[in-house]
Amino acid sequence: MPLISDIKAIIAGFGVTLHHMLRRPVTIQYPEEKRVPYPRFRARIVLTRDPDGGERCVACYLCSAACPVDCISMQAAERDDGRRYAAWFRINFSRCIFCGLCAEACPTLAIQMTPDYEICKRDIMDLVYEKEDLLIDGCGKDNSYNFYHHAGIGVTQPRGAGLEERLPVDVRSLLP
Amino acid sequence: MPKLIIDNIPVEVPEGTNVLEAARSIGIVIPHFCWHPALGRAGACRACAVKMLDGPVKGLQMSCMLPAQDGMVVSTTDAEAMAMRRSVIEWLMINHPHDCPVCDEGGECQLQDFTIAGGHGIRRYDGRKRTYNNQYLGEFIAHEMNRCIQCYRCVRFYQEYAGGTDFGVMGRAAMVYFGRQSDGPLESPFSGNLVDICPTGVFTDKTARFRARYWDYDMAPSICPHCSLGCNITPVARYRELLKVVARRNDRVNGWFICDRGRFPKANVNALDRPRQPLVDGKATSWDEALDALRERLNGFLELNGTQSLAIIGSPRMSMEGNTMAARLHKLLDTGKICYFSDSVHAGQTLEAVASLTPDNAASQEDVRQADLVAIVGSDLLAEAPMMALAVRQAWRNGAPVYVVGEETSTLFEYVAVASLSDIPLAEAKHPVLICGTNHVGSDIIDTAARNKAKLSFILDGPNAFGCALLSQEYGATPLSEAVASGKIKGLISFESDLTLELPAGIRVLAAADCRKTPLLSRAEIVLPSSAWVEMDGTFINNEGRAQRFKQVMEPGLPIKGLDPAGHPPRLHRNTPPGGEVLPTWRIIAKITERLGSEWIEDPLSDQWERLRELDAEGEGISVV
Ligand code: SF4
Ligand code: SF4
Ligand code: SF4
Ligand code: SF4
Repeated sequence: MPLISDIKAIIAGFGVTLHHMLRRPVTIQYPEEKRVPYPRFRARIVLTRDPDGGERCVACYLCSAACPVDCISMQAAERDDGRRYAAWFRINFSRCIFCGLCAEACPTLAIQMTPDYEICKRDIMDLVYEKEDLLIDGCGKDNSYNFYHHAGIGVTQPRGAGLEERLPVDVRSLLP
Repeated sequence: MPKLIIDNIPVEVPEGTNVLEAARSIGIVIPHFCWHPALGRAGACRACAVKMLDGPVKGLQMSCMLPAQDGMVVSTTDAEAMAMRRSVIEWLMINHPHDCPVCDEGGECQLQDFTIAGGHGIRRYDGRKRTYNNQYLGEFIAHEMNRCIQCYRCVRFYQEYAGGTDFGVMGRAAMVYFGRQSDGPLESPFSGNLVDICPTGVFTDKTARFRARYWDYDMAPSICPHCSLGCNITPVARYRELLKVVARRNDRVNGWFICDRGRFPKANVNALDRPRQPLVDGKATSWDEALDALRERLNGFLELNGTQSLAIIGSPRMSMEGNTMAARLHKLLDTGKICYFSDSVHAGQTLEAVASLTPDNAASQEDVRQADLVAIVGSDLLAEAPMMALAVRQAWRNGAPVYVVGEETSTLFEYVAVASLSDIPLAEAKHPVLICGTNHVGSDIIDTAARNKAKLSFILDGPNAFGCALLSQEYGATPLSEAVASGKIKGLISFESDLTLELPAGIRVLAAADCRKTPLLSRAEIVLPSSAWVEMDGTFINNEGRAQRFKQVMEPGLPIKGLDPAGHPPRLHRNTPPGGEVLPTWRIIAKITERLGSEWIEDPLSDQWERLRELDAEGEGISVV
């Protein structure tokens, strides 16, 4: 009978309404009261260091390529020891949508999202973060990875002394 | 013409085409590393496997090693072929470092592309990787041997194509090494092509080391301005700095390569102290004020001395647009002289050379490569037009004898030195080419070529010397030395000119426009800063009369690098970049003519040059002979 099922549906619907009316409110009285987000929460971005204290970012431009709103820019450069690094690195947080694609693209685990969501500013230029504002002194969420130990081209260790490598070939030798 | 079927698409290709090229011609790219159109096949990488379903050969085959034949039925998507390609690429990657993020090839790397295309994604091999020590190869090329996949392209180019002797392959088995006997700069004047030709990042451009990625590049089709051959290039810029130059394919002109002179010098564009602001008597000012000052001084000068005392100077290194506009300014003012060349002997020879060329006898670099006899008269090709020497080498490799009259020091090809033109058996050849330096142009050479139906190639002085010669004829230009010697010239306005003669002190340089700091500029009363060639669209006519378009690559302005003491780019907003007030010379002249009361000129190419307006920068260019 359609009439009975209609009445049932109406009662069920109002039941849900009533249930919500009697629930405790979920509103949080920010800023007096603050929520602690999970570590995976995607907010303010940082540049981390490897366990040896070196800057992880090698200015590979992958995060800036992945960023859908084009808010990352940088300039790569070379240190005397051959290490590639970012001479400058800029994130425009007024444009960032905190999608996390940059962190996902990063091959060195340098760029990471933190749960710090309180980054409102009165002057929009204060939301344009330079490298010195982004770089932190720790490893962030991974405290073991050092890209250069796996990269296979020396730089932080003698050539051939990285993980997963053999010592350099002697091209003048006839021995196998 | 063999007809075959590739992935169900029938295709007909010229005799001698291999299956890989045949597939490419219908847009099917089979992964490959060792095969290169200019170097041919080597069968070294094994990456281009296809399955032959039917026809003269059957089964798995290397498509680069297999000439296309009638009746072939090819599948590039056959499971067996795909599995083979995936395995080959997996093997190639076994020793490849994990360093794409710090490799300059990343983003423009054939190994990256074909690894993805080949279907290899996750490393299964957990043994250790082979490593090498790198070499210092000079200031231009960085070496990272760990990235090598043993395709042998570099040695094949360096030794076979370019005739270099100081770089090769050594070692054995899985430990072959591509480098020099010991550290040291590469000697070949074509060494920069290693950067383009290596499918991985073993060789990268040191002058652009760690600067930008392919997807961020500002680039556009362009023409090399460093000699008269007009090789096709793609300059690459980022953040208002010219970073590097790579070769662009043009089968009629440079083929796939360029010389190191065309590739590495960038200082003229990037120099911080380049003229970037209009100056009046050494003081920086605005364009309006500079042009007003020029009008006033020009009127005063002409009133005092008469129009006959003024010379307008064009230049063989200026675009066709600039040079035609210089001629229009000359006509508008009815000035005494228009000059495109400094020296009268040189001008005469250039004009004679240009006048002798016809569509039938002008030899392109491709004609030289295909020649069956090459005669070189009075030109040190490696010094004057390096790519021409490389073209001669290709003819020589194909068996063409090379004869040289006069000095030639090139070691790129063996040649017979002869005393005079008449000693060369031109009549015996079917497609002979005569190459001649400007200083040796004469009726004897032109007549000899005509008698023997030989094609002619003159090495001129400057990327647009040909255009200047045509304009000289059209407007009755005078070489500057003659104009000065006549004693009538009291002042001049120069556009991008490199004067080779000492200008008498009595001659006023009313204004000079240039993008370089030339000695003439320091003498000019009014300095008008002009755009470098990568900062504008334009046209050059090369030594064979081929008009070619170059497009704007980058916005002018001081490079961002170094602008702000804090290291990062400035945090101030502005509409024009600092130092970006330069204008293309033709526009400067249009502004001058407008000040002098004529109409604004929107397109500098007029009259007979109108046909160059629609020139396609990606095409082969059009002949104007
Ligand atoms: S979180 Fe998203 S929008 Fe923000 S910088 Fe990263 S990629 Fe760009
Ligand atoms: S992806 Fe990572 S390593 Fe690359 S530039 Fe961005 S932060 Fe640096
Ligand atoms: S150096 Fe480059 S071009 Fe030469 S063999 Fe290795 S990968 Fe091929
Ligand atoms: S041969 Fe001349 S035009 Fe060609 S790349 Fe070299 S300098 Fe440039």
